[in-house]
Amino acid sequence: MEPDIGTRYEIPRTAEFLRAGAYTRVALQFPDEMLKDAAAVARALRQELASGGGVRVFVMADTAYNSCCVDEVGASHIDAQCVVHYGHACMSPTSNLPAFFVFGKAPLDVHACACLMLECSRKSNKRILVLYGLEYAYALVDLRRTFEESCKSNSCNPEVQYADVLCSVMSPSSITTEENNCHLSSGTSCSGDLSINSDLAALNNRCGIECTSSTHKYSLGGVTWTVSVQEKMEDYLIFWIGQDNSAFANIVLTFNKCEIVRYDATENQLSTDVSHLMKVLRRRYYLVEKAKDASIIGILVGTLGVAGYLHIIKQMKELIKAAGKKSYTLVMGRPNSAKLANFPECEVFVYVSCAQTALLDSKDFLAPVITPFEAVLAFSRGREWTGEYLLDFKDLITSEKQEVASAAEEARFSFIKGAYVEDNRAQENMEQSETETSLALAEVTEKALSIQNQNNDAVLYQGRAMSSIDYLKARSYRGLTGEYEGPAPDSILVGRTGRAAGYSDEKTPSAQ
Amino acid sequence: MVKFTAEELRAIMDKKNNIRNMSVIAHVDHGKSTLTDSLVAAAGIIAQEVAGDVRMTDTRADEAERGITIKSTGISLYYEMTDESLKSYKGERDGNQYLINLIDSPGHVDFSSEVTAALRITDGALVVVDCIEGVCVQTETVLRQALGERIRPVLTVNKMDRCFLELQVEGEEAYQTFSRVIENANVIMATYEDKLLGDVQVYPEKGTVAFSAGLHGWAFTLTNFAKMYASKFGVDETKMMERLWGENFFDPATKKWTTKNTGSATCKRGFVQFCYEPIKQIINTCMNDQKDKLWPMLQKLNVTMKSDEKELVGKALMKRVMQTWLPASTALLEMMIFHLPSPSKAQKYRVENLYEGPLDDIYATAIRNCDPEGPLMLYVSKMIPASDKGRFFAFGRVFSGKVATGMKVRIMGPNYVPGQKKDLYVKSVQRTVIWMGKKQESVEDVPCGNTVAMVGLDQFITKNATLTNEKEVDACPIRAMKFSVSPVVRVAVQCKVASDLPKLVEGLKRLAKSDPMVLCTIEESGEHIIAGAGELHLEICLKDLQEDFMGGAEIIVSPPVVSFRETVLEKSCRTVMSKSPNKHNRLYMEARPLEEGLPEAIDEGRIGPRDDPKVRSKILSEEFGWDKDLAKKIWCFGPETTGPNMVVDMCKGVQYLNEIKDSVVAGFQWASKEGALAEENMRGICFEVCDVVLHADAIHRGGGQVIPTARRVIYASQLTAKPRLLEPVYLVEIQAPENALGGIYGVLNQKRGHVFEEMQRPGTPLYNIKAYLPVIESFGFSSQLRAATSGQAFPQCVFDHWDMMGSDPLEAGSQAAQLVLDIRKRKGLKEQMTPLSEFEDKL
Repeated sequence: MEPDIGTRYEIPRTAEFLRAGAYTRVALQFPDEMLKDAAAVARALRQELASGGGVRVFVMADTAYNSCCVDEVGASHIDAQCVVHYGHACMSPTSNLPAFFVFGKAPLDVHACACLMLECSRKSNKRILVLYGLEYAYALVDLRRTFEESCKSNSCNPEVQYADVLCSVMSPSSITTEENNCHLSSGTSCSGDLSINSDLAALNNRCGIECTSSTHKYSLGGVTWTVSVQEKMEDYLIFWIGQDNSAFANIVLTFNKCEIVRYDATENQLSTDVSHLMKVLRRRYYLVEKAKDASIIGILVGTLGVAGYLHIIKQMKELIKAAGKKSYTLVMGRPNSAKLANFPECEVFVYVSCAQTALLDSKDFLAPVITPFEAVLAFSRGREWTGEYLLDFKDLITSEKQEVASAAEEARFSFIKGAYVEDNRAQENMEQSETETSLALAEVTEKALSIQNQNNDAVLYQGRAMSSIDYLKARSYRGLTGEYEGPAPDSILVGRTGRAAGYSDEKTPSAQ
Repeated sequence: MVKFTAEELRAIMDKKNNIRNMSVIAHVDHGKSTLTDSLVAAAGIIAQEVAGDVRMTDTRADEAERGITIKSTGISLYYEMTDESLKSYKGERDGNQYLINLIDSPGHVDFSSEVTAALRITDGALVVVDCIEGVCVQTETVLRQALGERIRPVLTVNKMDRCFLELQVEGEEAYQTFSRVIENANVIMATYEDKLLGDVQVYPEKGTVAFSAGLHGWAFTLTNFAKMYASKFGVDETKMMERLWGENFFDPATKKWTTKNTGSATCKRGFVQFCYEPIKQIINTCMNDQKDKLWPMLQKLNVTMKSDEKELVGKALMKRVMQTWLPASTALLEMMIFHLPSPSKAQKYRVENLYEGPLDDIYATAIRNCDPEGPLMLYVSKMIPASDKGRFFAFGRVFSGKVATGMKVRIMGPNYVPGQKKDLYVKSVQRTVIWMGKKQESVEDVPCGNTVAMVGLDQFITKNATLTNEKEVDACPIRAMKFSVSPVVRVAVQCKVASDLPKLVEGLKRLAKSDPMVLCTIEESGEHIIAGAGELHLEICLKDLQEDFMGGAEIIVSPPVVSFRETVLEKSCRTVMSKSPNKHNRLYMEARPLEEGLPEAIDEGRIGPRDDPKVRSKILSEEFGWDKDLAKKIWCFGPETTGPNMVVDMCKGVQYLNEIKDSVVAGFQWASKEGALAEENMRGICFEVCDVVLHADAIHRGGGQVIPTARRVIYASQLTAKPRLLEPVYLVEIQAPENALGGIYGVLNQKRGHVFEEMQRPGTPLYNIKAYLPVIESFGFSSQLRAATSGQAFPQCVFDHWDMMGSDPLEAGSQAAQLVLDIRKRKGLKEQMTPLSEFEDKL
């Protein structure tokens, strides 16, 4: 057991990292599925570090958001100086604490994989780009060697490019570099819409990473690769090694125009079918259309660690305000149907979280949940969905303000309603342009009050409320109002006793 | 053709008593457009400078190709009445000049929405009926629609030429046929007795029925003949007219009128004797080229022919002679001017149908009086593509006030709610335009009572809207149009090249504008959906989309998809319960089917969320046998708060129940939109809240706990009440000769259709077949039918009702289960339905 733990969880390497940083309080973050080994790992690590002495190790589990992100808030509860993160990671940059990642090692049949790769390269005339889940990163050297050997034996020489692991150590000081890096990378993956391309050269010089003006550096989900400027990602065949998980979804959605082949290591077979993810993409398109119709938006804080989350929340607020809509920021841990239904006035939620948890299937939720990128599409006028897709909100953080599209003349066409539906922003602008702004405003308020009685059904009112105050007014029950006729209660009654699963006054079959 | 300058035309527009706005309506192929053409040829207004090279009904290429009208087209006609012919006119008038704004509408049922849009902006209707085929399904539909809008009808029995040439019908037989046609039309009209509108039935003896041959350009009313004979018999015209129709017989031998056929060989019905036979005689003489006989006859009738016309022979001669003798334009236009109301007359009673707001406010008054000085009230009924790519004219009718170029107007869209800002725009009219033939002429302004096209509003109006002056903030909109067809057939479209998506989006937007009915939406799966009334409608829409609105970018069209509804067969077998996520609250519910006819009543808006509870409980208790108290306990309707499902509170003495009402309603709206079977809309289900147990602490019974629970318990009660699928069913009407019947039955059987009426049209070899056909089976039905009957049968399909599918969707392998599976697959849902146990909790 013990030696196995040592290699699987890379105890020596971890210890080395901890020693190098001279950390004395260390948080070990485990995802649920690895939690069973937590004690053993902690023990092994303590043993390994025994020579250094004085290092305290804490086990963290059940993270508030997603286990792929470093739980900085949790770690700061114990004043940890660094976090060792185990298992699948989204490699979102941290904001305060240095982190060390142990991806684990999933078994990979290197020979089988190399064979299939070769087969793949024969079928396709595109160049192959090998991307992989981080749990297979350890086997990459092996794979590359095996593949080259089999190429030689088959006397062919397909062009294959391998992505590299970004890093296994992350320190918050590197954020700026990281950010620029990511910035740059995805900026190239989307067309000029975000107007980042112009900054490209400048960024290249500034961050001084090994990408010259002739290559584009991409990084996604912890792996990184470069593509020369002359080529587009569409010129590559992406060969993904790993499970059909959120990391893969991230790749597929971001490079939705590329040909993608997935090698499933456990089943030892190839699959080219990504139609379910394309369906997801189309559904997201629907959600964007739906979001356009919303006038009250909830911003769900889905991370307290990923660098730049405050920035993006601020940006979302501004965006929503600029669109003439109302936003509310909500912090509620991992969202679920019951939590979101407590805010029935919100017609759509924007979920700010790391790239790999951003896609939330909101089928079972009362209101759809969209990503910040989708919010940008939905709430900035004149933006059109051209097929590009970004999941990482870092790519949205742009230094310059999203320029508000020069007030398009045309009213907005809602595909949910199949008709023109004007955004209220334009109306407001119009009103402001009138000289008697204050008067107009008073008029509107007066109207709102007089109308309120007609709509004493909150659901009938939905979609027309401009703020949750509006919505509350329209509800049939508005909570305790304090306007009691007689101040004294009639009589005091004895309430129920017992547990909610079966109160004591209820004869239930289960109770007998 | 009448040559006019825009100024001259504009001058007539001010005479609100001398305007007639009317539409031409009929069954497909009864000759509307041909008849219209002959009117236009005689009286169409064209711009002075383009006279000569105009073809009025120059329509879309595909219209010509298919021989049917697809879009309604408006044409202005000018007619000057003689003093003599006006002497019996009782109504108000303003000189002898009349302006007739005529809208030719399509007859195919798939395009009935065009008819609806045309009816809204007209006051009268010329109903065209084929004298042989008689009143058909579409005649009936549009007639009902016209009467519903309080449009006064006049009738013309068309294709008279067929009687004389093709079928060679004898006088008495022809009379019987005509009177049957008129009677059939009157049967429909009689059901719309309306105090304000008066008697809307048509009578030949009163001059409200014309007899026409559109193809040959001639027509007459009994007035024409009465005038001719009145002096001869020495009676006045009205008396003469009465004699020319009905049971009035004349025996030339005795020169006596009787009310019964005396049996003498020379005794003939007045109509036959004095109208039918003379025409027949003229036609026969022409056809037989007996010119020596013809000229004296014509002289007697005061018909003078030009010398070059005298050279014509056969059919051409006949046409010419008839046109000169009985010009269609004179007969029809005089009939319209005499018997159809002017805007000022019509708006007095139409205001109730039109205006949504209180009928005593200034807007209603202005509409009622057709007041050009009143506030502007204008209804845009459709958008017309302009030659300028991608732009549209907003076409509509001014009901009061004036609309002027450069004027700032308040646009109230269909989703506008008075007092709120949704779907409300203030924009200026760039130009007001009137049509003179194919040419658009800008005019300064257009006063009430007229139709108008406006430039510069198309980016704010999808299909229709109400316009008022900018400052008239308390005006209510004009009531939305009610369509007789619904968009039940849908296709999903996507572009071949992903990057064409913006083009597709733009194209769909334009398509939505160009057609009053088509619906362009997006489905949850992210597919763009185009919904239309039928296969042909969709075909035309798709063609327009690709060729005109997307600049030829390629699209992929899915096979047609039909939407279903979910309902229940019985009351839930037990009361089901669901617990909230925190287990502290429990909802108990049962589902039961709504009473027969109740969903339809909700659809029609007879029962709805905004009713007066007293009225509602009266209807529910009297018509549907509800308990009076129960009727007051309806919490809501759904989906979309107006749909044909409801939640009823059956609880007794539950604490805090008022607090969770909003949450249950929200959960119900959600669930009724996406039923448990295949996430189709629910229909005809009543959910009864039987009992509720709530946590004593308000924080634990909030929306978050109750909304998802309400949804679950609704699903559970649906699943325990024998859920069923409803499929849409068309009413099909087919006319065909007897030998084609076999083929028709064959195709119908194969398509799960069933015939419920088969009737021979009296006096013809044609049979009329009415059948029900599931919409899902209707694709390719037309072409198969044509193939099976060698082109003799032509079906008209119109959505009729929802039909319950017999098989149980919960039983694996049944037809309904297969359908559910297919729908779920298409929608990208889990193939397995969520089992009941997921929704129902046990104590």
